[in-house]
Amino acid sequence: MAKKEHPEMARYLSERDWFTFLREQTIALAEIPEMQLQTKTLDSLLEMYGRIIDAVYNEKPFVASYYCLAPELLTAMDLPYYMVMQTPFLASSVPYLVDDIDASEAIGLGNDLCTAIRLSIYYVEANLSPLPTCALNLLYPCDAAPLLHEVIVRNERWRDIPMFGCDPPYYMDDRSLDYFADQLRQMGNFVATHTGRKLDLDRLKETVEESNRMFSLWDEYNQLRRNVPSPHGWGIGGPQAFSQAWVYRAGMKEGTEWFQKLVDIAELNVKSGVGPIPKEKIRLFWFDLLPFGWVMDFLPWLEEEWGAVMVMDMFGNFPYTMIDTSSEEEMWRGLARRNLFDAPMVRQARGVADNFSGDIQRIVKDYKIDVVVWPGHMGHKDGAATVGIMRETCRDLGVPFVHLGLDLFDRRYSTPEQVKDKISEFFRAMGLG
Amino acid sequence: METSIKSKAFEQFSEAAETLANPVLQEWKAKGGRIVGYFCSTVPEEILTAAGVVPFRMRATGSTGTEESDAYYSSINCSFPRHCFNQALTGEFKFLDGIVCVNSCDHVRRIYDNWKRFVPTDFIEVLSLPRKTGPDQVGWYRDELAMFRDKVAKYFGVELTDDAIWKAIKLHNETRRLQRKLYELRKQEKPPITGAETLAVMVAGTAMPKEQYNEMLRELLDELTGSEGPGGHRARLMIVGGILDDPAYIQVIEDQGGLVVADSLCFGSRIMWVDVSEEMADPFQALAQYYVADRPSCPRMYGEHDNRARYVKDMTRDFKVDGVIGERLMFCDMWVVEHYMLDQDMKADGIPFLKLDREYITSGVGQLRTRVQAFLETMGR
Ligand code: SF4
Ligand code: SF4
Repeated sequence: MAKKEHPEMARYLSERDWFTFLREQTIALAEIPEMQLQTKTLDSLLEMYGRIIDAVYNEKPFVASYYCLAPELLTAMDLPYYMVMQTPFLASSVPYLVDDIDASEAIGLGNDLCTAIRLSIYYVEANLSPLPTCALNLLYPCDAAPLLHEVIVRNERWRDIPMFGCDPPYYMDDRSLDYFADQLRQMGNFVATHTGRKLDLDRLKETVEESNRMFSLWDEYNQLRRNVPSPHGWGIGGPQAFSQAWVYRAGMKEGTEWFQKLVDIAELNVKSGVGPIPKEKIRLFWFDLLPFGWVMDFLPWLEEEWGAVMVMDMFGNFPYTMIDTSSEEEMWRGLARRNLFDAPMVRQARGVADNFSGDIQRIVKDYKIDVVVWPGHMGHKDGAATVGIMRETCRDLGVPFVHLGLDLFDRRYSTPEQVKDKISEFFRAMGLG
Repeated sequence: METSIKSKAFEQFSEAAETLANPVLQEWKAKGGRIVGYFCSTVPEEILTAAGVVPFRMRATGSTGTEESDAYYSSINCSFPRHCFNQALTGEFKFLDGIVCVNSCDHVRRIYDNWKRFVPTDFIEVLSLPRKTGPDQVGWYRDELAMFRDKVAKYFGVELTDDAIWKAIKLHNETRRLQRKLYELRKQEKPPITGAETLAVMVAGTAMPKEQYNEMLRELLDELTGSEGPGGHRARLMIVGGILDDPAYIQVIEDQGGLVVADSLCFGSRIMWVDVSEEMADPFQALAQYYVADRPSCPRMYGEHDNRARYVKDMTRDFKVDGVIGERLMFCDMWVVEHYMLDQDMKADGIPFLKLDREYITSGVGQLRTRVQAFLETMGR
């Protein structure tokens, strides 16, 4: 029998090849411990690509989901998952990104909708996203994410795929926690029904406990980043830790091993007083994702030119609340808390603005931050409407605050050169560096 | 506004749409009446009315700039909340006794955070509106509304019984019925009221006590029923979008010869096309069912696009619409995607569709004229 064609896998396969190529580059630098860890990160990423590809071509169940939809559940059910927003979030270094951004504009989505959403809509509509057994649609933290999923609900190739979305309450209280815990529980039952995999609560407990171990190592690692100089900058830390704990290895013991290595390396650096650059001059809090679409054109420069070390970023820090696994009830509540109240970006953007100011206060104090950078990604409209609050918070703390205005994925929105000029001007005006 | 309608009631509606604190509101205030501003049409006006408070749907009519609010918002934010918050900072909303927000969209929900911190206001609340529209979500919003009732009752020192809420529901349903009657007249070949005039009537309904509004609207309906407009327009149009409260914008479209006979707007048909059920035992359940599930939704609600597209298609049929205009305020993520989908839905049914981006305060009129003219021409009109 002829093998089924899978045109929807074209981009996914190219991404896999791209990361295979990148992995070769890290191997060439294998004597640096951080690079060894990067290689391991890419291994886990390639494993995830492999699992999805295997599922598609061998007709095994897999799920489209998100980091903030309790990925431990899927691990416990032995189901691989990928994010429909994967390319912008994890793979925006791919060489065809700019062409795809243009294509997304050309289909009629304009150019002021968040690029991550625009790209993802384009991939769905152009049949360039793997078609899962069932989809867990994301209804938060912003307006754009649910709209992406509205397109998915309606798309002719997706519309018959079973879908579930967890409804987000707006507050941070017990009533919201109970409501969202119930949504997650319904989601678990939904996945079991549509994939034929059982949700075994003992297995879920083990997975959540593994996840707890990872989160507590992550917390320990962050304590090390409080040191002056910080043992790591933008090159390793938040984004990779996020990818392990929330995406590639949620609740898996290989993830915990990865975190242990990260802690060990950082500890060595702290002991020998080593940071990512010879002289740390500015300790910077980057309050967003990294500019993944043009990272190499900007962040190395920040360190070399200004001695500015990204001590903390949005995805590297949140309250690492452990999940109580003593009862089923508490476990669901704990998962709800982690995914709705704690998860990076969701904790800031989903609800009222209190976490914007609260996180700045906490991080500036804990990490001895010299400057808070709000990159002002063009998609983060709620954050854009919070700049006054952030500025005021920083003023009260006596720490400089700068709002840049850029697109994390599209280097043409504000070019790396323009962003460099803006931040240089600011550093000079503030007498930093 | 320019109008051929000779009516005292319409004059008052028109004035109300062109100002914030219109004479009717001023009179109410002078008599010690209270007014609470609310953002987004998913806030249940009925609970405020039941408390003897006039619900005022927030707009930034008359705003000329955003100099003050620019420190709080960014250039990638929707101009509606930017103008509105600017007016809050300059004291234009002093006539309000409180503010009710809802997590309607990324731009407007931050009005709550900014207002709470930077504009001293004793009564300021935010409601948590679900994204889904199922029974669990109706249940969640039901409890939200019951808690909101308690807060309103406490702050304004009134007793808010279920009977009082039912009375308000009936009054607001009466408003809806009268407004639907007005829309019925627009089905005529030569409607006695234009799209711009209709919008003025609808906006006025969100800015005065409902009893008074209903009385005036009855008067207007009596005057218009049985009469005909001038006719002679090049095409019958429908307009679809979010917050559009400026009749002058529709006027520009109509000046090009396209008569707006129907809409799916949240200052338009979406707030009155169906009634709140009067048959349920619990008024909060009835309100939640209406606001979350039954009323025509906007793209804020998830999984409802097919219903929204059907709503637009049904209207194009019933109002004999030749073409649909999708208007959107720049930087709105919800409506850009909604119009992207609606464009495809309309094309599939052979209905011409024009997407227009705009700023909250009507500007760029020349460009708007050109786009509308070109649209009418492509329709062979
Ligand atoms: S378009 Fe929807 S969310 Fe926006 S104001 Fe209107 S009803 Fe509210
Ligand atoms: S147009 Fe869109 S972004 Fe602007 S206020 Fe309305 S719903 Fe919000």
